[in-house]
Parts: sequence; C-alpha cells; structure tokens
Amino acid sequence: MDDEDVEKALFAYLKKKGFWQTERALHEEQSRLSSAPQSETALSRSERGPALYHDGYSKLRSWAYGSLDLYKHELLRVLYPVFIHCFMDLVADGHMQEARAFFQTFREDHELMHLRDLQKLEGILSPSHLEDMDLARSLRHSKVSIKLCEYSYNLLLQYLQKAQSFTMLEVINEHINFEVSSVQPVSISDDSDVIALVGNSQDLAKQVNRKEVRWGQLLEDTVEERLEKTLSDSEKVEGENKDMDLDDNKKRSADVGKQVAASKKLKKDKVIGAVGKGVRSETSTVSLAPRVKPELTLPIMPSEVEQSILDDLRNRVQLSSLALPSVSFYTFINTHNGLNCASISSDGSLVAGGFSDSSLKVWDMSKIGQPAKTVSMQGENESSQNEIFLGSDEGKRSYTLFQGHSGPVYSSSFCPTGEFLLSSSADSTIRLWSTRLNANLVCYKGHNYPVWDIQFGPFGHYFVSASHDRTARIWSMERIQPLRIMAGHLSDVDCVQWHANCNYIATGSSDKTVRLWDVQTGESVRIFIGHRSMILSLAMSPDGRYMASGDEDGTIMMWDLSTGRCVSPLMGHNSCVWTLAFSGEGTVLASGSADGTVKLWDVTSSNKTTKMDDNKGSSGNRLRLLKAFPTKSTPVYTLQFSRRNLLFAAGAFSISG
Amino acid sequence: MEGKVSWHHRYPIAAGFVQPKEEGSLLLPSWANITAVLFTVKKTTIAHPTKGELKICLYFGVWMRIEPNLAAGHKVEHLALCPLSVSSNSSSPTSPAIPNAESCESRVGKAGSPSLENMSIVPKETIEVIAQSIGIANLSSDVALALAPDVEYRLREIMQEAIKCMRHSKRTVLTADDVDSALSLRNVEPLYGFATGDPLRFKRAVGHKDLFYIDDKDLDFKDVQLHLIEAPLPKAPLDTAVVTHWLAIEGVQPAIPENVPVDVILPPLESRKLEHGKDDGLPVDIRLPVKHVLSRELQLYFDKITELTISKSESALFKEALASLSTDSGLHPLVPYFSYFIADEVSRSLNDLSILFALMRVARSLLRNPHIHIEPYLHQLMPSMITCIVAKRLGNRLADNHWELRDFSANLVASVCRRYGHVYHNLQSRLTKTLLHAFLDPSKALTQHYGAIRGLAALGPSVVRLLILPNLETYLQLLEPEMLLEKQKNEMKRKEAWHVYGALLGAAGKCLYDRLKMFPGLLSRPNRFTWKHKGRIATTMPNGNKRKSVASNHHSTQQPPLKKLAGDGSVNSMPVMPAMSNAQSVADGFGNNALTDPGIRPSTSTGRLSSNESIPGGSRREMGNSRAPKTHSILSQAWKEDLDAGYLLASLFELFGEAIFSFIQPVEMSVFL
Repeated sequence: MDDEDVEKALFAYLKKKGFWQTERALHEEQSRLSSAPQSETALSRSERGPALYHDGYSKLRSWAYGSLDLYKHELLRVLYPVFIHCFMDLVADGHMQEARAFFQTFREDHELMHLRDLQKLEGILSPSHLEDMDLARSLRHSKVSIKLCEYSYNLLLQYLQKAQSFTMLEVINEHINFEVSSVQPVSISDDSDVIALVGNSQDLAKQVNRKEVRWGQLLEDTVEERLEKTLSDSEKVEGENKDMDLDDNKKRSADVGKQVAASKKLKKDKVIGAVGKGVRSETSTVSLAPRVKPELTLPIMPSEVEQSILDDLRNRVQLSSLALPSVSFYTFINTHNGLNCASISSDGSLVAGGFSDSSLKVWDMSKIGQPAKTVSMQGENESSQNEIFLGSDEGKRSYTLFQGHSGPVYSSSFCPTGEFLLSSSADSTIRLWSTRLNANLVCYKGHNYPVWDIQFGPFGHYFVSASHDRTARIWSMERIQPLRIMAGHLSDVDCVQWHANCNYIATGSSDKTVRLWDVQTGESVRIFIGHRSMILSLAMSPDGRYMASGDEDGTIMMWDLSTGRCVSPLMGHNSCVWTLAFSGEGTVLASGSADGTVKLWDVTSSNKTTKMDDNKGSSGNRLRLLKAFPTKSTPVYTLQFSRRNLLFAAGAFSISG
Repeated sequence: MEGKVSWHHRYPIAAGFVQPKEEGSLLLPSWANITAVLFTVKKTTIAHPTKGELKICLYFGVWMRIEPNLAAGHKVEHLALCPLSVSSNSSSPTSPAIPNAESCESRVGKAGSPSLENMSIVPKETIEVIAQSIGIANLSSDVALALAPDVEYRLREIMQEAIKCMRHSKRTVLTADDVDSALSLRNVEPLYGFATGDPLRFKRAVGHKDLFYIDDKDLDFKDVQLHLIEAPLPKAPLDTAVVTHWLAIEGVQPAIPENVPVDVILPPLESRKLEHGKDDGLPVDIRLPVKHVLSRELQLYFDKITELTISKSESALFKEALASLSTDSGLHPLVPYFSYFIADEVSRSLNDLSILFALMRVARSLLRNPHIHIEPYLHQLMPSMITCIVAKRLGNRLADNHWELRDFSANLVASVCRRYGHVYHNLQSRLTKTLLHAFLDPSKALTQHYGAIRGLAALGPSVVRLLILPNLETYLQLLEPEMLLEKQKNEMKRKEAWHVYGALLGAAGKCLYDRLKMFPGLLSRPNRFTWKHKGRIATTMPNGNKRKSVASNHHSTQQPPLKKLAGDGSVNSMPVMPAMSNAQSVADGFGNNALTDPGIRPSTSTGRLSSNESIPGGSRREMGNSRAPKTHSILSQAWKEDLDAGYLLASLFELFGEAIFSFIQPVEMSVFL
C-alpha cells in the first residue's frame, strides 16, 4: 500500500515537473521488474516443476535439432542424459503422471540408440524404484562425461543462458561432465562413449584400461612351435610320427579309438592341408607377437596327445578369404524345444547337448556318424523307418545320458582332449563328467545362482564359470573350491572365454560390457564398452591380440585387447549371436546366430591395416563378411574349429523357428 | 461367461489391449481400455512396423508369450504386462473366491477414462479384484493405488529375468518355463498349471471381442476311465538325435536337402529329397558314391513323366506334369535323363507327330525351370529341337499338322538362343548356319524350307533382314511356280508352297514392322477415326476394287483358305496388331481371317483345300511376279541403302502384294500408298 502511495506521489511529481523521459524510463523499469519476479516464482518447482522440465527439454531438443549440422551430432549427445535425468528427477519428485507423459513424449528420439535402457527405465514408477534398480541407481550417482568441442560447448552454454532454462542447466550441471576439447567436432556420433551410459563404469573403464595387457602368446614352446621345428626335418620326423602313431594306436586302442576314428574323418581335409603347408611355414615366421610367461602352472600334456595335436596341426587347412573352411553341421532333431546348449569336442567326434530337463546327452559321432549318414542318404520315409528299426534293434539310445543336475543345463564344455566334459546348470552347480567312464566325477558348488556359462581353458585342467550372481570364477579340476572370484560386473555374467595364453579371461555381461580379468590377480584389466545389449558370446583370436564379442541384437564387435578399443563392429546378423569362433590361425571368424546362419568374416584385412596404422590410431575400415551359410530353420548354438580348421557347428532343428 | 470355473482356475486372468504404436516397438497396454477382468487371457495380434507380426498373449499370473508369426527368430521387443497374481493357497478349490463376470465388467467399465491418479499399467481395479479373489473384501482404494505401480515394477523385473533365462536357453520365444525359472531366481514360488511345452489354446468368449480363455474341459470320471486309462498309450515322442550334414564344403554350400535350397521357396514335391552327391562341382573329399544314384522318388517321377509323354500327351495329367517340370527345383538330377530321353525319342519317333509335340513341350518346360542348370545338356537338346524344325517329314499322315510343331520348335530354339546366347557365343551362329543352309538349298523339301524360315524368323527381325531378305527375291522366283495351279499339279506340294509363302510373308512383314517402328509418329498415333477413314480410302483404291471383285465372285469361298495359309504364319508371329487386323477387315474381303484362331484354322483350311481345285488368286500373283524383274534394281538399291523403310515397303509390296499391308498400321499404309 505504501509502495503504491509513494509511486503515485512520485509519478505525480514527475508529471508536475515535466520529466517525461524519466517517467517513461521508470515505467519501463517497473514493468520489467514486475515480469521478472513472476518468472522467478515460476521457477519454484512445487508449482510448475514438471511443466518446466517438459518445456525446457523440448526447447533444448528443438534447439539441438535446429543447430548447425557441424555441431549437431555433438549437441544431440547431450539430449539423452538430460532426458533420462529429467525423467528420473520427475520421478524422484513424485510427479508420476508427468514423468510418464514426459517419457512417452520424447522416448522415440532415443529408442534407436538406447532401447534396452529405456525399457528398463520405463518401469520406474516410484521414487523407491530409483534406488531399487541398479541401472537407475548407478545413473543417479554418477556423472556422465560427454566430449564436446569448445565451440559447441559455448553454444550450449549460451543457449542455456539465453533461454533461461535453469532446470536444464541444473540437470546438466548435476549429471553431465563435459570434456571440452579444442579439436574439430566429431561428425558421426558412432562413438562408443555415447552409447554406454553405465554410470561410473565409464571413469572406471578409463582407469582400468590404462593397465598393461600382455596379450602375446606363451613364451614356452607351444605345440605349434614344436611343429615348426619338426617340419624343418620333416621327412624323417614324419616317418617317426607314423611309427609313433601306430604305437599309440596299439597302446590306447580301446579308449582313444573314437579319437582315431574322428581323426580319420578329418583325413578328408588332409589333401587341402598338404596344399596349405607351403603357406604355413611362411606365415608362422611372420608372427612376431610378444611372448609372455604363463602365470598359471599349466598341465603337462601327455605325449600321445601332443603327438596327435602335432599331427592335426601339420594337416591344418590354411584358411583365408579365398580358402573358406568346410562346415560340418550337427543338427539336433526332436529336441522338443528342450536343448539349451551344445558343445563339440575339438576333434568334432563328441557332441554334447544340455537340456532343460536337467539332462546332458553326449553323442559319439565317430560311432553313430556312419549309420546316421546312411539314414540321411535314403529317402525321407525310409529314414523314419530306419530310425525306429535302429532303436528297436539296438534297444538303447544313440547317446550317453548324463544325469545329475537338478535344473536346466545351460552350458557345457569339453576339455581339449575330449576326455572330460563340464556342465553348468540352473541348480548353481558345475559338474565334471568323464567321457570314458561315462560317469560324473566331481560336483563343484560355489555359485549361488544359475551358472550361465562354463569354459575349459585352452590346456584343460582349469576352467572358468559365469553366473547370475554377477561373478565369474576360476576353478581347477582338482579342487572343489574356486581359485579366483572375479566380481565387478553390474549384472549377470553371461559368457566367459579364456585368453589364448591362459593369463586372462574375458567375461561378457548383461550390463553390456565385456571385461578382461587377470587370472593371477583376479582384477579387471580391461572394460570394453560399446555393445548396446546383453553380450552372448565371446571369442579370442589365437594370437591373443583380438577379441570378438557378439550380442543380443546381432552385432559382433572386434576389440583390440591392448588398446581396449573396438576395431570394427560387424553388422550382419539380425538376431542373437549365440556363438563365435576363430579359425586355427586366426584369419577367419565364424559366427552363429539365432537367425539360422553361420557367417564367416575376414579378420585379416583389419589386422593388417591396424598393424600398419597403429600409430595413426585410425581403424575406420570394416571387416568383411566373407560368406553366409543359411541353415534350414536351425539356429546355430555352437561353433568349433577343429585343429585342422574344419568348422563344426551345431544347432537344434526347430520347425517354428 | 461360459468358461467353467474348474479347480485350477484359482488365478484370475486379466485382459486388456496391447496397442501398436505408430512406429517403433510396442506400446504397453493402456489399461484404460480394459474391457473385462475375468478368467481370461488376452491374445492379440500386433502389426509391428518392422518386425512383422507378433502375437501377444497375456495371461494372468506373470506369464506372457510372444509368438512370432514368422519362422525367423524375433526379438522379444517388449514386455507386455498383466496383473500379478497373488496366489492364494487359502482359497479352497471348491469355492473359488472369484468375482463373477458381470461385477468385474461393470467395475472396469466405470474406470473407462484414463484416470490421472493412475498412470501405471496395472490399474488399481485389478489390484482390488485380486484382493477380492484372495479374500480381502475391503481393500481401500488408496492401498490399491499405492500397490499398483509397485506391482508393475516387480512384474517388469521378473520379465527381465525371464528374458535372461530365455536367452540362456538359446531361444527367442518366451515360455512359461522361463517365467518360472525367473520366479525361482527371486525365490518366488513358480506358477503352477502352465507348464506345457505347447502353446496354450485360447478360445474367444462369445460376444466379447477381446475376451479369451483357455478351454479347460471338465472331464467326467467315466470318460477318463474310458478314454484315457484304457486307451492305448500314445506314441512316445521321438528321442533326440543328432544328424550330420555338410553345411558348406570349402565355402560352397552343397545343394543337399539338409541345406536351404538356394533362393527357392520349398516346393511341395517330395522328390527334392535327393541323396548327398547330386550337386555339381562336388569336391573330392567327400566319400560318396561316384555313380549317379537316383532316389526312388525321382525314378518314379521320371518313369511317370516319360510314360505320359509317350502315351497320354493329350491328358490333363500331362499338363500337370509339364507344370511340375517347369517349376520344381529338385529335378536337376533328372536333367541328363530327360535330355537323353528327348534326343532318343525324337530320333525314334519322327513319324509320330503327337509324341514329337509332347517331347518339345517337355523340353520347353525343362528350359523354363529356373532351378535347373540346363546349359551342359543343351548340346543334346538342340539337335532334336532343330530336327523338329527342319526335318523333311514329321508325322506320317497327311492331316498331321507338322507346321505347328515346326513353329513351336522354332520359337523354342529362339528362346534358347536368347537365354543362353551370351554364354555360348557360337550357339546362334551355328543355329543360323544350319537353318540358312536348309533355306538356301533348293534340293531340300519345301517343308524344310518352311521350318528354316520360321526358325530364322523366330530369331528376330534383324536375322530376317540379314539372311532372308537378300535371298527373298530369288527364292520367290523359285517358289512361285510351286504355288501355281498350272505349274504344280501336286496339291500337297502346292499347299506346302503356300505355307512357305506364308512363312516368308510373316518373316518379311515382321521385319518391315520392326523397321516401321522406328517411325514413332506413325505408329503411336491411335487416332481411330482417321485410320478408319483411311482404311475406307484404301478400299476405293484400284487394287482394292479388284480384290473386292475377286472376293465377291463365285470363288470367294475358295480363295480364303490359301490366303489363310499364307497369313497363318503372320498371325502366329504377329499378335501385336489388333488394330491392323481390324482395319484390314474393313479394307479387304478376307481380312477377318487374320482374327481367326490359329489353333483351329489349319484343320479347316486343309479340309477345305482338299475339296478345292482351282486357285483364282493366281492371276494376281502372276502379275506381281511379272513385275518383279522391273523392280529388281529398286530393290537392291533399297537394301543397299540399309533398308529405308519406305523402300522396303515398296519392294515387299512388289513381292507380296497387298498381303504385306497387314503388317502396317493403316495410317502409314495410307502414307505409303
């Protein structure tokens, strides 16, 4: 009231004195002042908060989309973190309807890149859920860092100041860490940093990835090296080998008979192997990879096994983009949708299938391969007759049934000699089976939740398991307790793989990262961020330098272990990549997918170029798809290159897909 | 509601819409649209913009199924949600505490509009219904409202776990088992009653569009005893087995039945089931029998086809067989047998026209089959086809219409040339050489000439222009005497000569038409009125008058047949000019012959011809003949000048008379006349 009186008096005075200009200026100033407090009150969250978020974000969005093409990609990156944090702020403030409306309005923008995260976040319906859900929690408690060039950073700040959208400014301040660099703006937003927003793991990853990874092959004489030595005086040795083989055969005719049979089967590619021999000696000398000491005490290989490996290696087919492998496909029929996993021994003679009815079945292909083949040769009507006949005549199954698990068997793995078989199950146990005795030897208990994956080490004896309890564990066959527990993933560990030199293991997880762990220390030495969905399969190149990982969306990524960067994404599959396998000398990568194809990728091209461009650091080239082999409605569950580079694949025939 | 409440319907089942979004993935059901909460299950089909169609079934309990319609594995894109079951073991089986249908519907009906307080997918009404079902009668709406979002959150959690389990079972279809194992991961008691491997069968409730239920029949104990216990046990399911095959051999996929046929949708015929070593280029390292073993199905197939070809080529079954030959993909192993069969039978049954015809049809079907790699067998097929064009005698009876066979084979050979000419460069040159040889040899029979002309004509107008037209004049001089009644007394010969004349006319006319096509302004003017008008003008022209007088005289009935014979070829090869024939029917007396069906014409014409002695058209022909020498110089000049169309027309007109006009649009005709 007083103010008004004073004002009136003042205006009257000014009018009386004829200070027109002063009066006008006063009016203007007054009106400006009166509007300002209004906007300030609007800022108070309690009244118009939700709407502010909505408006602020939509303005920011339209500004970012309308910005110059040069800076657009960078500015668009800011949108996603702002979006999810706006949403979570709204939820945290209890504006449920508004949060949901906000989410639905702008969801589409980010679906392409962040579909899986959005699906998870969509479920957040109350403030308590924010704390409950891992993803949300980690997002809330950490800052996202975004790389921006200086100019776009300034643009953004200017916009935020001009538009006075303090809500947005607040969100950005609170949750985004800008890494401003003075370089040119990045044109394509294909950067892995944009894709992964897994909370603090980003910083962690940066820290972790500085550690050294000694990815080289083993220092000690590998079998392959010994082979090269023997090749130098090949004539003599070959004769010896033959004698040895004969002796061996006599010695272990009973128990290793199947292996021999299998290797006979493999003799087919011997012809080609002979051709590849000449090339072999050249390439093997090229490998200048650093050598590392094994950190684990590796099991000593029995000489006869070594001998057979030598034999195989000598006959290995040299694969390249021009010489593609032969693929032998094992189709599981009549599985009634019960087959969860399949694995093939390294010589392809044994095939194991893990079923959801807790059973593990092992087929000896060297024994039943022949009748199976004759069956398939005849017409269809005959084959069914034959099967029945076969069944009734022999009165037993064509496979060995391993029973012991009390839950679906999720994974199985043969040791390199094919002597032992490991299986992991939903009953949280791992069981070791002997394929010679057809009996269960050990039951390893340690995980608390279903064990998703199990892998024997490249030399046997050690194995690693991955579980729903977010850990991977390293075991040795002779102990029922794990040797190491690798903990650090933010979600289930879905797949594991050994590094070729046994010093590292890689794990793929539902948190969309792949980690590399040091076996000796049990610490994470690399975090690979880039996948957009759950990792389902891993493979390590034989030279130990590269790793391939396949995910739920069908993307395969090649990683350079030393730099921790993605060499190249391999696009081609349109469904889950169940399995990956490198060929014996690492030139070809095979991938098997739920879309019922086996695809072969040329890996050499990238390796060469990256080796050349190592200092330049550019890896723009894409790896080449060499060939795709469609199967007849059979998703490919597993792939295995034999030592002679014959590719074995297995899958369950499913009529409905 | 008809669904009987049987004892394991303890869990109420909710239904609702799942709406497809405009783009992107599925939108979660907006529960404002719930029509009923009942013992029902919702099964709805959603058109997914990118992934085809997904069928989503919502169950009560936490269990959902996404069934991909397509065979390829679909991603589970989204969770479709439904209210959580609060399973109550306390509710006794005999008196299920489930509200009846009407009350539910009415209650949900009230919540028709989206209430602002409740944004969660699970409406509070659902919670109330569930509470009722487990015996909590008066749940306050605040509690229900608070519970609803949490229920949704838990549901999502469980579904995510279930999806993980699905992935580790290497499946792309979520099943009840996955939900069960997800529940057990969370130490929740699994849901009982849905553990079936087969998809559950739903029935639509009568009178409700979106209401589904599982048809769970109540069984009488007597029936159980009768039908289930005493009935023989059903067959045990087949045991799991592993079969091997080569998916690829050195990077090449062998075409064996275990592999996907190369870009082919599976044909229904089971004869695809061949044995392993059928494909060409099979590498050596497979130990398979080298000798060509045919499966029994294929043998039967082959026997049946050959039998049909030889004995029942008129039957409808033979048509089916031809269709099968031209479409089935598994016939490749039979190709050498078929080509041998065709070659063999052609040489053997030269005097049985129907067999020859059937054989040519078989050959055509084989050539048409896109899945057969027939190139290696062309050398075997070509001679028999050429035989059917230029053989001296085909068929043993006078009435045999071997002309048609020649035409058919000529077209067939021409199609082969078109299709494989780029692969075998000398294919066409060799063929034309053979044909030209037959054409230019005066000692050959007229039938052979006819075949050669037709064969050449089928190869296209440029072949005609290069090979026939330069020889046309001399040849016509040879032919003319054969056509005339006075010179050639043998009626058969004369008829043959007319056929040859017709073929020549057709070939030349087609060539001319081809040339005239280069004048687009002339051909593409579809002014009906003008051409009719011009056509009339044409009738008033001198030779038109003459024609009329001929047509109107006593012999008018006898003349057409020969002209028809002559026109025969032109119609077969020239179905492109309906306007022309129309105009011609105005222009001259016998023009409508061109419209008559070529299939029936030959028999009638031969019939008529046999009763007919005199050929009155001869006089005019003679005139043309006498005029020929004069125009010779013009002709040669015209051809030298790379055939200006006008000259060509003029020269051809000189040679053939008015008949050549049938190949020209009346407009142009008027221009040239």
